[in-house]
Amino acid sequence: MLALEFPPLSHIVNWPGFVGEGEIWEINKVVVIYGFAVLFTLLLFWLGGRKKELVPTGAQNLAEIAVEFIEDGIVMDTMGKEGLKYTPYLMSLFFFIFFTNIFEVIPFFQMPASARIALPLLLALLSYVIYHGAGFKSHGLGYFKHALVPPGVPVFLLPLVMLIEFVSKFLVQPFSHTVRLFANLLAGHILLVTFAVLTSGLVVAKWYAIFAPLPLIGVIFFTAFEVFVSFLQAYVFTLLTGVYINAAQSHEH
Amino acid sequence: MHRTRLLLAAAAVVLFGFLGFARPAAAEGELSHPVEECIKQLEEANSIDVDCQKAPNPLVPETNELIWGFVGFAIVFGALAWKGLPAMKTAMNARTERIRSDLDAAEAQRTEASAILAEYQTQLADARNESARIIEEARQAADEVKQTLTAKAQADIAELRARATADIESAKAQAIADLRGEVATLAIGAAEQVVERNLDRDTQVALVDAYIDQVGANR
Repeated sequence: MLALEFPPLSHIVNWPGFVGEGEIWEINKVVVIYGFAVLFTLLLFWLGGRKKELVPTGAQNLAEIAVEFIEDGIVMDTMGKEGLKYTPYLMSLFFFIFFTNIFEVIPFFQMPASARIALPLLLALLSYVIYHGAGFKSHGLGYFKHALVPPGVPVFLLPLVMLIEFVSKFLVQPFSHTVRLFANLLAGHILLVTFAVLTSGLVVAKWYAIFAPLPLIGVIFFTAFEVFVSFLQAYVFTLLTGVYINAAQSHEH
Repeated sequence: MHRTRLLLAAAAVVLFGFLGFARPAAAEGELSHPVEECIKQLEEANSIDVDCQKAPNPLVPETNELIWGFVGFAIVFGALAWKGLPAMKTAMNARTERIRSDLDAAEAQRTEASAILAEYQTQLADARNESARIIEEARQAADEVKQTLTAKAQADIAELRARATADIESAKAQAIADLRGEVATLAIGAAEQVVERNLDRDTQVALVDAYIDQVGANR
């Protein structure tokens, strides 16, 4: 289960269950990471909300910065004041994704849960339901026209454009939303594993060991880079959700 | 201090890197069971197309991960929507409100202080004007007193001088009259003795007066 037990490269994101193997409630390393992500998110908000100092410090400061970041940097930027009701959802998305991503660089775990497709797909589908739901709530059945018929398109092109828009917004969008997060994290994980395998391979290969520091530098550099990627991909996923909700419920094209 | 922290952080990253990615004990001859099994299968098949090498399709989600992911996300969303976010927002809004009210109060106090300062400055200016007026009035009163006293003194001096002159004139007239009588008597006596004849009194008095006038004119 631990990264110390190096799996074959083909099993790089395949973590066997260690409780209830084969059952639908099977618990494997990814599920444990979900649990820690839940715990860390709740801990951050519990610690942040526990103290109510006039001048915030520590966890309170961090939690407040995070809240302002989501509200001002995502909700207000993408949807304006109308989108404030989606803040809890977007905030949950951001923190849950970020904490599952950051396990990429936490020793002994070193696996981002988003490098498995289940979580990105689940969250993309939830978001899909929410933003199309927001569209139907805002436009009624006219949402189809809003979503599929861009203004100013010549009538003879409408069938083609509507088909493209349907494929794009109703079929491809959730897939691209999923794959953007999943592929980035998987690629980062493979990159780190590659450098780590190379380093450990060189360490035991007699005189080749003198080259071990080179991939080790790569491991260190990409570990730092993956911290940034963890944050960035959580931000991008949440931001896109905000953009999709706004596009669906907006009365402007 | 900053340098020390940087070095410590770098050391920690390197340590974690080694801990996290160090080749497992299995690599040094004690392979874990699944890996050993897989190597055996690969050797026996003389091909990489063996079951243990087959990776699960990464695009097919695992049901258990979907379920637990949903449960985990639902817990996070529920906790944030129900308690976490409202509590944070309440605290942040309360702080914003408190800071705003403090700023408003400070602004009000500043305005009040400015008004009081302006009032004090007005009062100070009034007091200065009043004191200048009082000093000017006092100076004028003093001038008037001075002029009155000077005039009175001058009048007194003039009166004293006039009185003294009058006294002198009176004394002089008296002295002249006295002298005239005495001199007339002495002169008559002397003349009688000199000319040994009696002049009538009127002639003698006329002579004496003429003499005295002459003497007085010569003084």
